[in-house]
Formats: sequence, C-alpha cells, structure tokens
Amino acid sequence: MQTTTLISVKKLGMTLALLILAVLVVIPLVLILLTSVQTETGWDWLAPLRTLMGSSLGEVFLNSIGLGLAVVAGTTVLALPLAWILSRTDLKRHTWLDVVLLIPFMTPPYIGSMGWILFMQTNGYMEQLIPASAAWTQGFFSLFGMTAIMSFHLFPFLYLILRNALVQIAGGKEEAASVHGGTFLYTFRRIVMPLLLSSYAMGALLIFVKTIAEFGTPATFGRKIGFYVLTSEIHKYISSWPIDFGQATSLASLLLGTCLLIWYVQTVISQRYTYAMIGGKGARVTVLRLTIWQRALAWLYVAALLGLSVVIPYFSIITASLLKLRGVGLAWGNFTFQYYIELLAWGSRSMEALLNSLSLSLTAATISVVLGTFFALMIHRSRTRSERLTDLFSLLPNTVPGIVIVVGLILLWNAPWMPVRLYNTYGMVVLTYVVFFLPYTVQYVKANFAQLDASLFQAGKVFGGSGFYIFRRILLPLILPGMLAGWMMTFTISVRELVASLMILPPSMETSATYIFAQFEQGKVSLGMAMAVVSVGLTTILLLGLNKLLEKRTIGGP
Amino acid sequence: MKIRGLKQGALLLLTAMVGFGAAGCGTAGPADKTASSAANGAAPKAEQPVKEVKAENIKEDKKLSGKLVVYSAGPNDLAVAIQKGYEAKTGVKIEMFQGTTGKILSRMEAEKANPVVDVVVLASLPSAQGLKRSGLTMEYKEAKNADKLIPEWSDKDGSFFGYSASALGIGFNTKLVPNPPKEWADLTKEEWKGKVNIPDPALSGSALDFVTGYLSGKGDAGWELLEQYKKNGMAMAGANQEALDPIITGAKSIVAAGVDYMTYQAKAKGEPVDMIYPASGTVISPRPAAIIKTTKNADAAKAYIDYLLSDEVQKMVADTYLLPGRKDVPAKDRPGVDQIPQMKVDWAWMDANGDAVTKKFSQLFK
Repeated sequence: MQTTTLISVKKLGMTLALLILAVLVVIPLVLILLTSVQTETGWDWLAPLRTLMGSSLGEVFLNSIGLGLAVVAGTTVLALPLAWILSRTDLKRHTWLDVVLLIPFMTPPYIGSMGWILFMQTNGYMEQLIPASAAWTQGFFSLFGMTAIMSFHLFPFLYLILRNALVQIAGGKEEAASVHGGTFLYTFRRIVMPLLLSSYAMGALLIFVKTIAEFGTPATFGRKIGFYVLTSEIHKYISSWPIDFGQATSLASLLLGTCLLIWYVQTVISQRYTYAMIGGKGARVTVLRLTIWQRALAWLYVAALLGLSVVIPYFSIITASLLKLRGVGLAWGNFTFQYYIELLAWGSRSMEALLNSLSLSLTAATISVVLGTFFALMIHRSRTRSERLTDLFSLLPNTVPGIVIVVGLILLWNAPWMPVRLYNTYGMVVLTYVVFFLPYTVQYVKANFAQLDASLFQAGKVFGGSGFYIFRRILLPLILPGMLAGWMMTFTISVRELVASLMILPPSMETSATYIFAQFEQGKVSLGMAMAVVSVGLTTILLLGLNKLLEKRTIGGP
Repeated sequence: MKIRGLKQGALLLLTAMVGFGAAGCGTAGPADKTASSAANGAAPKAEQPVKEVKAENIKEDKKLSGKLVVYSAGPNDLAVAIQKGYEAKTGVKIEMFQGTTGKILSRMEAEKANPVVDVVVLASLPSAQGLKRSGLTMEYKEAKNADKLIPEWSDKDGSFFGYSASALGIGFNTKLVPNPPKEWADLTKEEWKGKVNIPDPALSGSALDFVTGYLSGKGDAGWELLEQYKKNGMAMAGANQEALDPIITGAKSIVAAGVDYMTYQAKAKGEPVDMIYPASGTVISPRPAAIIKTTKNADAAKAYIDYLLSDEVQKMVADTYLLPGRKDVPAKDRPGVDQIPQMKVDWAWMDANGDAVTKKFSQLFK
C-alpha cells in the first residue's frame, strides 16, 4: 500500500521535474531550431546552411572556430607549466596561489578586455609608462591580442583540471619508470602524458566551448579590431537596426549544434580514456627539490603570469576609474574619487542599477537552489532513463552558450500565442538567470548526495523518524554545503551577467553589468570602471565572508 | 524499501515547494495584468471631464495618472533631467529605456507583438519618418509651442516633433591635431591614415543621417569618398561616444561625422577636443519625438510632447550643447543653426534608403 503511493510520488516528482525542464530549457532550444528552418513557404531543413552560404556569415563561423582553437593553444601554453610547477615542485605548498589564480577567471571578460584596450591603445597607459612601447602596441590589436586576453581569462580553468590530474597520478608510477632507467622526458612522454590526456582533452574542449560561447570580449575588443564571431553577430542581429531574427536563429542553431557536438566528443573521450588512478595504496606525490636557479625561474614564471592576467587588467580598471581628465592621462593631480561619489549617490541611476543587480541575483540564486536541489535529488544516481534525461536537461545550460538560450527564451516568452506575459518583466530576467545557472546547484548537490550512504537513512527510519523528519534532520544538513556552494556561485555570477541582461531587461531597468556596458558604449568610461570595481569588490567580499562563516561552522560542528 | 520511503518524503516536500514556486510564478502574470488594466481604466475616466476644454490652461489641471513608457536616445543626462521634470510636473511615473536609435528601433520590432512603448525619442529624422509611414505614430497637431519649431525638423501633420538637433562635424584632439582638416575630402590624405574613427550608422541615428544625407546629395558617386575613407584606414567604432572616446584619450586623432554636442560637452569639461564644420556643408540631424499609436496613456504622452517643447526643456537642451528645436531659443556656447554650413539633403530619399545604406556601409567598413 505504502509502496504504491511512494512510487506514484516519485513518478509525480519526476514528471514535474521533466515538465519544468521542458519549459525552461528544452522548448526554447527546439524553438530556435524550428524558427531557423521555417521559411515563408514551409519547412526547409537546410535553411540555416543556406543563410550561411548566402552571405559572409561563413567567415563568422570560421572566425569563431579559429578563435576557439587559438585560445585552447594559448591556455595550454599558460596552464601546463603552471600546473606542473604547482603540483610537482616545492612551490606547491603556497596554496594562496590557487586563490589568486581564480581572480582572472572571476573577472567579467567585458571589463577585463576594456582594461586591456585602455592599457594597450595608442597613447594608452602602456605608452604613457614606457613611451618606447609605441613601436609594438598596435600589434596587440589583432587576433593575437584577442587570443591573449581570452587565454589570460580562461587559463585558470585548465590549470585546475590539469593540476588535479597531476596530483592523482601518484609518484609511484613515475618512480617505477625511473627505476627502470627512464629519463625525465621519457617518463613525461610515456607515463604522465597518456594519463593526463583524458583530463586535458576534457579541459581543452571545455575551453573551446567557453571561447566560442563568450560574448564579452568579442563585444568589446573584437568589435574594435573588426573580428566578428557568432555570438557578437547574433547579438547584432537581435539588437541593432535593422534586426533580423532569421539570421540570428540560423547562427544560434549553428552555435548550438557545434557546442552539442563537442560535448558529445568530450563524453566519448572521457569514457574511453579514464584510468583508475586511485588505488588502495596511499597516493604519494614526490616533491621535486628545486635548485635556487630553478626556483627563481619558477617564481618568475608564476609572477609573469599573475602580472599579465591580474595586475595589468586591474591596474587599467582602477586607474580609469580615478582619472579626472582622460585626455591628460597618468599625471599626479589628475586623480579623483568623484566618480565613486557620483556612482554611489543614493537614488542615482548607478545605485539603482547596483541594487537591481543584487536583488535580481538574490532572487535568482534562491530559486535556482530550490529547483536545482529538487532536480539533483530526482536524478539520484541517474540509473533509469527518466533520471538520466533529467540529468541531461538540467546540465544542458552549461553546454549551450548563454546567448543561444536567451534567443530561445525570447522566442518562447514573447510569442504572440503565449498567455503568460513574462517578457519585458522582472520575472523574465530572474527566469533567465535561473536557467543559466541551474547546472551549478545541480552539480554541487548531486556530488554531495552521491556520497551519502543508504545506511544513514536506514538508521533514521529504524529510530522511527517520519519522511519529513529524516529529510530535515539527515538529508538536508548533509546536502546543505552543496546547496550553499550552488547559491554562492549563482549569486556571484548573476551579479556580473551581461548578455541576458543586455537583451531581456525590461525598458526602465538596468543592472550593474548593463550599466557598465552602456557607459563603455555611450557614456563615461570612468563611471563604468568605477562600477566595475564596486561590483567585483562587493561580490568578492561577500564570497570571502561567506567562506569564512562556513569554515567556522565546519570546524565547530561535527 | 523503507529507505526509499524516507527519500520519497524528502522528494515529496521538495516537489511541493517547487510546485508552489511554479504556482507563484503563474499568478504573477494575471495579477500584473489586472493592475495595469486598472490603471488603464483610471486613465480614460480622468480624461472625460476635461475633454474639449480650451487646451491652454487645463494642461496642468488635467488629472494625469498611471505610467508612461519612454524609449529615449541620449544624451543620458538630458533624458533623465526631462524624466525628473516631467514626473514632478505631472505625477505620471516614467519608465524609461535609454539606448541608441538603432537599439530603440530593434526593441520596438522585437516587441511588435506586444508593444509597451508610449513615446519614442530618436536621434534620426528618417527613422521617425519610417515610423510614421508604417502607421505606428499618433498625430498630435495641437501640441503647445509646435508653431515655434523649426519647420523642416518636424512633421507637418504632427506625427513627430524635432525638439532638438545635433550637427555632424569633424572632431579632433587638439593636442594631436594642431592643424585640423577643413574638408571631408581632407580625411583621405595620407597624414590621417589609421587615425580616424567614424560612428557606426547601424547604432547611431545621427551618423546614419550624415551618411544617407551625404549620399542623397551626391548619388552613387558619394560612395567613392567612403571607399577612400576605408582605404585610408578609417575605423567604424560603435555609437557616437565610443567613436569619440579614443579621440579624447588620444588613441585616435579625429572622428568623422561625430555629433557636435558630445565634443562640446567634453571640451567644456576640459578635455583636449574641438570640432569644425566643413565649409562645403554638413548634415544637421534633428532628434524627433513621437507618440506611438498603441499608447495606453495618450494624455500623458501628449503632456510629454508639450513638456519637450516647453521653455524649460528647451533650455535644458541648450545647456547640453544641443541645438534647441524652437526658433526662439538660442543655442548656448556653440554655433547656432545659421552658423553651420549645411549641404542639400533629401529626407525622403534618406528614409527610403536607410536600411540599404546601413547594410552597404557595414559591409564596406567591416
């Protein structure tokens, strides 16, 4: 009797989960594909390709792919030595480096790119500091510069993946090679490389997808050098005159297809080339003792990397927010705090934008944690088909570029037949953020939930706990860290979200990101940069505070 | 089996929570609707008693209420000042979207199915002509002070009103350019290779007016100059501020077809920039405001137009270094309409060919 009701509850929950995911994620994406193949006379399955062939858009597609490959190469060059240094040498005890290395990744790309532009342009900060550099700064405004900016933004991601993999390749295997007379290079080529390959392939493909899905850098730096990619063109066709939804959906379905293909390849690779690296013997990593010269070289590398990826962008951002007259440049007496005062004046447009950002992110993070936890519990261990489907759909927004999702959501919620008028309201923005960042909570909670053993719940039941009691006293406390991590991640990223905010905010509303972008486009760059400093600073402090709070809790509690 | 039951309990709870959440979302929509329809209901009621009374005095007495959605092109500070003044005067709350002309038009196109905008303020006359031609605008012939407007900048049927204007010129960095170019053709010279920006007509309404205006006078031969510009390394750089900004910082030396008021604003602030108008003539780009036919608050929209043409706003316009739309309000600290040499342009041609020109221009300068 009880069993049947429970099964139907589970079924009901699953149906609800799939239904919500269908409305949030699947239908919008299907609508894009449908719109792109629909012509006035009927269906034309090759219409998107025809659109591409018929115009210069093929080049745009190639630009995206080329940029993706270049950035994969760039991040590899930056991240591989770093991962090795920080996993195999005695520099690895400096764990603070891991925190610092997250800064470039957490800096919104449109702000970082603007920092680079201000630094490298003719008569920019670089030339003001070192006049001789004028000879080569122009060379930076090319595909090379764009690759560099994006690589400096994305390399920490690849670094973390590679370092974790390197740590897992226990030193024993290398020692074995050494015992059998292998040189360092031989060991690296025959043991470390193959073991590293699957992690690297996964990281590289993710970097590729992130690059072609990126909007901030193409919208600022790319436009400046006339390098147009899929995302910037989609945005153009939707938001600047004359608009063309047909072209936009064609490009969006192309981008969607590419990302899904890569995702598939990645799944295949990670299934085929994963080795069991953690055995019963404790993994022991041998730490390489460096000579003084080697150590100096290693530090030099780390310092140069941090200088390029953190110091230069932030130097530009902060300087630009403090300059009184931008035509005068770096000179004592030309600095002022007036932009911060203007920015933070109560009731000003900027303050409103900042508050909007905070309240939108708060709402979105909360809703997406509830939804994400629900989905994660539904997915369970993804054994049945419906569990796997829920898993697939709820993680889809991580693979599909944000701009594609936005196009789909607009198509769905602004359709003439749509009875719920969500488009052009506050709710639409929250909805989009929730869809965007749902995967974070799902992943964190799923990981948390998978570690829990069934015996915990059996114990609860043995002692006569009701379903709700066990949920409240056993399950919830145990998955809480995952939920909190998801919440924090969603909140931080929503505050800086640009592309959705640009395209779907209701008329009178601005967020800190669109405010910054608008200042770059049509207003005062100094004000925009001041806002960048404030919003990045605010979220960072918030995150650090929450982290501290959690640390205390875990130390104090059981 | 038992363990399962426990987790089911948890799932049930979460399911319920999610269910509530979804229900919450569902009700939000209709609730909004009733709220806004209530507001709409209130507006016509207020309208009844004042109808057909002499227009002059009642404007202020008229009980305006509800909200007004305005899509306005820059300058941002002016748009905000007008919003504040209007709200204080009428008690009507304005919801404003600020964007370039291109963005406003795109937004209207995207919202075609469910229009929300009541009044648009653009930075390009042909765009307003286009709106009128598509039957999107509402006529308001009896607007106050409309008779004092410069007639070429407004619609004779009262479909749109050129409440202000900017002129396009050659802006330059005074530190980098001691001898500024005098003519449009000068910018093709070797000395300016790679040092000149031009705003993107797809984003900037006034830049579009310049390009189409220039072409309407010169015909297809006009493209030659633009092609030479491109050959000389001229860069298309976003909307107006984005094109001007590198001139201020010295990254570029000159902006061609830059809007003058932004340059004058920067100059007034102390930045090293100035502007000239070629003697062969330039285009003055009026900034028209229009009421959109689907407005749900026509009285408030009309009051907004009246306010734009009032002494108060016209003075604000002058203070922003724009050209006031009324003949009787002088420009401030800048050349007035009579002092700017103008070229002959054909507004009808500009309206008809705007899209084609934008496309060709984008392709040329990409």
